[in-house]
Amino acid sequence: MSVISTENLTKIYNSGTTAVTALDHVNFQVQPEEFVAVMGPSGCGKSTLLHLIGGLDHPTEGQVHINGNLLTDLDDDSLTELRRRQIGFIFQFYNLIPVLSAVENAALPLLLDGMKPIEAHDRAIEWLSRFDLADRLQNRPDQLSGGQQQRVAIARALVAEPSLILADEPTGNLDTRASDEIAGLLRQVTKEWGRTVVMVTHDPRIAAYADRILFLKDGRIVDDTLLETKDGSSYDAVTAKLKEIGD
Amino acid sequence: MNFQLTLALRYLNGRKLRALLTTLAIVFGVLVVFGMNTIIPAMMRSFQANVLAASGQVDATITLKTGDVFPVAELARVASVQGVRATTGLLDRTVNLQPNYFDHDLAALDSVSALSVVGLNPNEVRNVHSYNIIAGRFLEENDTNAAVISQSLADSIGLNLGSTLTLPTAIGEQSLKIVGILPARAVPGNEEVFVTLSQTQNMFGMPDKINTIEANYDSLDETRRAEIQSSIQSTLGSEYQIGALTSNSELLTSLQLGQAMFNVLGVMGLLMGGFIIFNTFRTVVAERRRDIGMLRALGASRKSIFYIILSEGLMQGIMGTALGMVVGYGFSVLVLKLMGPAMQKFLNVRMGMPEVSLPIVLVSVGLGVGITLLAGLIPAMSASRVTPLEALRPAVGKLNFRRLAGLGFWMGAAMIALAVSTLLTRDAGLIGMGGMLFIIGLILVAPALVSPIAALFGGLASLIFARQGTVHLAQGNLSRQPARAAVTASATMIGLAILVTAASIITSASVGFERVLRKSLGSDYLLIPPSVAVWGTNVGSNPDFARELRALDGVAVVSSLRFAPAQVNDLPISLMGIDPDTYGQVSGLTFAEGDEVAAYAALKTPHSIIISPVLATSIGAKVGDEVSMLTPNGVKAYNVIAIGGDYLNAKIATGYVSQADIAADFGRTEDVLLQLNLTPTTDRAAAESAIKAVVSRYPQYRLISGQGYIDENMQLFDVAFAAMYAVLIFLAVPSLIAMLNTLVIGVIERTREIGMLRAVGATRKQVRTMIVAEAIILAAIGTAFGLLAGLFLGYTTVETLHLSGFPMEYAFPASGVLVTIAAGLLFGILAAIIPARQAARQDVVQALHYE
Amino acid sequence: MSVRNALLGLLAQRPFYGYELLAALDGIVGGHNAWTVNSGQIYATLERLEKSGLIEEQPVNGTAPDKTTYTATAAGRQELTEWLSAPVQTDLQHDEFYIKLMLALSLEGSDPYRLIQIQRASLYQELHAVTTQRDDLEIPTNLAQKLLFDKAVMHLEADLRWLEMIEARLDDVKRQPVQQVEMRPRGRPPKSARGAKSPPQTDKP
Repeated sequence: MSVISTENLTKIYNSGTTAVTALDHVNFQVQPEEFVAVMGPSGCGKSTLLHLIGGLDHPTEGQVHINGNLLTDLDDDSLTELRRRQIGFIFQFYNLIPVLSAVENAALPLLLDGMKPIEAHDRAIEWLSRFDLADRLQNRPDQLSGGQQQRVAIARALVAEPSLILADEPTGNLDTRASDEIAGLLRQVTKEWGRTVVMVTHDPRIAAYADRILFLKDGRIVDDTLLETKDGSSYDAVTAKLKEIGD
Repeated sequence: MNFQLTLALRYLNGRKLRALLTTLAIVFGVLVVFGMNTIIPAMMRSFQANVLAASGQVDATITLKTGDVFPVAELARVASVQGVRATTGLLDRTVNLQPNYFDHDLAALDSVSALSVVGLNPNEVRNVHSYNIIAGRFLEENDTNAAVISQSLADSIGLNLGSTLTLPTAIGEQSLKIVGILPARAVPGNEEVFVTLSQTQNMFGMPDKINTIEANYDSLDETRRAEIQSSIQSTLGSEYQIGALTSNSELLTSLQLGQAMFNVLGVMGLLMGGFIIFNTFRTVVAERRRDIGMLRALGASRKSIFYIILSEGLMQGIMGTALGMVVGYGFSVLVLKLMGPAMQKFLNVRMGMPEVSLPIVLVSVGLGVGITLLAGLIPAMSASRVTPLEALRPAVGKLNFRRLAGLGFWMGAAMIALAVSTLLTRDAGLIGMGGMLFIIGLILVAPALVSPIAALFGGLASLIFARQGTVHLAQGNLSRQPARAAVTASATMIGLAILVTAASIITSASVGFERVLRKSLGSDYLLIPPSVAVWGTNVGSNPDFARELRALDGVAVVSSLRFAPAQVNDLPISLMGIDPDTYGQVSGLTFAEGDEVAAYAALKTPHSIIISPVLATSIGAKVGDEVSMLTPNGVKAYNVIAIGGDYLNAKIATGYVSQADIAADFGRTEDVLLQLNLTPTTDRAAAESAIKAVVSRYPQYRLISGQGYIDENMQLFDVAFAAMYAVLIFLAVPSLIAMLNTLVIGVIERTREIGMLRAVGATRKQVRTMIVAEAIILAAIGTAFGLLAGLFLGYTTVETLHLSGFPMEYAFPASGVLVTIAAGLLFGILAAIIPARQAARQDVVQALHYE
Repeated sequence: MSVRNALLGLLAQRPFYGYELLAALDGIVGGHNAWTVNSGQIYATLERLEKSGLIEEQPVNGTAPDKTTYTATAAGRQELTEWLSAPVQTDLQHDEFYIKLMLALSLEGSDPYRLIQIQRASLYQELHAVTTQRDDLEIPTNLAQKLLFDKAVMHLEADLRWLEMIEARLDDVKRQPVQQVEMRPRGRPPKSARGAKSPPQTDKP
């Protein structure tokens, strides 16, 4: 079963008199343990796609299935629970709570789920240690470098053992070296820990870490490249599909 | 919940200064409520202890509900009740003394300002009380002009066994020989002078009257005692009460009034606090939109977010309340300590420690925590509505606010219109509600008016800070976030509105009272008792005194007021007896309804009464109604012929009847206040010395010219003004905190922008000026709104009070407006000091990196 | 890149057997997959170098008579010094993809957008491969090789950005007169450096 599956996913924003189509009948699947990068020019709809997959926003039309759950069927509370248990988020600006320590930040999803603080902290420490942050457990975000903060954020995304990690420009605020580190870590997340990662990025060098690149333009997938294959076959598959849906 | 609390605590801890400033307002409100409610019960308890002390050792103390005197014959009825072992009748009169009575020095206050003269039957009383004489002897049946006093009284007025004590009485000053000394008085209350019952009755013109029966029962069994008590009650009837004495109950009423006023002050403080918390939390939620969105994205439910914000409010509420209660307790200890010596000296009341009762703790906690929670509710709800998307796109959600502001504007405008229209109804309740509506309406309308007003004041400020080039920036900052500016300004607005309202009331009251004062006390001379507030404790004179005055050369007319405590339709009132023929010549009531001449004429008809507007409102009586009056001779029906009052009784529920009626129904012929006019051709100096000679035998009176008394009262008003302003400025302090708070937050939020300004070459001074200008413009907006709201509220309040019978007329509070403007601008500058320094000190590079 | 100069450089250090040279060359550029030179190429080059007198056979003492050892001559060292001190010229204007694209623009039945997408997919494949290889390297021991991978990553990134730019402006290019498009790629770089260095300008009126 695919982790993500979308059917004719469409999102139209109405701002005043003009309607902007951010996503236009998008269909794709993501398989377990895949590392997918979503690329495309600004305004192509890549963030919207991530929001819809994460249940943060509602599609105008079409459906999203996450691990078989149809998101449009769920009410706010069920969506919240799904996010808490099955999806981990990583943001461009880390979005750590400034007044909490690294451990407390990493443990947040578990605490939100009602786990006992001691147990939640233990699990958070385990993940932070995997990311070389064992000596930074009690530091507040402002005492950490950008790369360290993002590693805390990744630990936070993983701590509740979700099957799907969604990352929105995770390296957008980092220098080259830290970017490579984070991208490598995300690759490790799929290869070593068996999670599925969908990452929005505009940086080709970061996208190159992925197994597969979805290329969005004007709300459509124009290219879907499997990076293991070295021929252009994926292109034909995608164009065929585009024709199918009436391009 | 545990987790929410931790997070809330961390957030608070992260912004200590802000948390403190925000909490301060709650502290202030709780302080006032808690402090005042522990001080006043402590004072009341002391007074009550004073009263109870007199009757503490007996099983039953029986008095009339009105506190009035009653025939000695009642004693026999009590004695006849099965189970009553012993009884005795007392006539207990408090004698207020002029402040120069003992030492003849007006400047230095005497150590004894009031005495209780207790008339007793020496044989009977020993069946009920025991008296431990330390020198001399106790009173005997046939003693005349003999008195027994305590060692402490003897010491404080310098008397010994065998010396003579002179006291003012209704039949002139009397000399009493000290025949016995009791141990120093240990309980609080007035010093007592024990005299035989017959002599006391004589001295106060109350033959065969007593005002207290003391009784002892023959059983110690509680049920039996309750039975005896109820059979006494049924024997005597419902006009009597068994228990504590109610003399001085008027004083307790005044204290309760004071308590109520301070409670209003405290609740206002708390509301201000709530408003500040609301204001801060709105900012907090705005600041943390991204954090909240992130938490939502991570799987925090709406409820969790709601509780996180609410927990923060809860904690501030708890901290503020706890701190407020501690400080309030300290405050009340301090006040009682400061008041202690004076109270001890003048009222012979020893102040205890503040009285902390469970209800007041609960109410303080409830108010403090409740208002904070309430204030956090709306921001918490709006926080729970933050979508997870805002973690990723921080700009979302601003449009909503603008739409809301638009809606608010029209709602506010509608409220203001509604509030103004209530003025037309001339209904006190509706007008009062209109006042509140007006303020809320103004707060809602404010955001839309910020830009134009900011432009106006910005123009003015540019003149002041010419060549700085930063004022238009400050003005722009405000116009850019009109809602924020409006919230800050409204904090100032509320504080200042209260100030202006109070100023309006005081000014109007003073104008109204002066008019009534001139009318009431327009006579050439007044003979004033020591206390004009508590009539029951004054010793008057019998009609001989007035007669003597009338006989003097050059005295044209003498008219007097007589007093009796009474109840009308179960409400305790002061009943004044006037002479319908002469009263109008020396003085006059101010009539709200009815004609002066006709009313005095109608008063001659027996059982006619003129009631004061306050009384009319309290019992809902109109001209032509019949009211039931509780007299020592049973309930009598009186006819309301007019509504009006005089200056001295303006704030009390008062009824005026003819002196014939008060003598017939209450047995009172004692004049407590006299007014006299001279014939126009008289030599004033000669007449005055003649009057003085007569008055010297009645030292309970102070002779003062009518004009002198008016001047004295107007001076009192001035003092009251000053005190009121001091209290109000104290109340306005939270609005200073609110403004400071918002400005600080504004600086924090604009850190990056300020950094940018510095980077492009703004000097520290320019940044500072910008913040100060912003504060001044904000303060000006707040002041403008505050004036508007205050004037409206003042007008409605005066109108409401006027309609409920207070003699006031709306007067524009010019000085109050000036004080308000000064206070508003001063607050603006004060509030700007810290944030301006903070902004100017920022490190440019760090500021630019602030996210 | 010249294998010739690389071999000369190695032989200037010490004598090498032919297959030793192959291994040494691999060591410099980072081993397998990176930059493959076959043994035939090595022997052909060695022959040419010997003929030019830049290297010479070195007699060996006995153990492996069938193997030939080479070493650099004085002339060889002289040429190496000259090569090392001269700057390396880049040849960025000769871009095959560019030619393909220009032709596709004017050829009936070919889709330039499709060309771009195929090229982009391919570039990403390469980038992914290079990134994977680079990440497989142990930094402490293979830093030098990692730097070479970084070069590849950077160039690939630049190419990808260039593709993006082309894609965004392709419509503008299409609207320009065809002659201009045909002339430039064929002709030698014009004398004015400005015109030659940048891709065709889209001089809008």
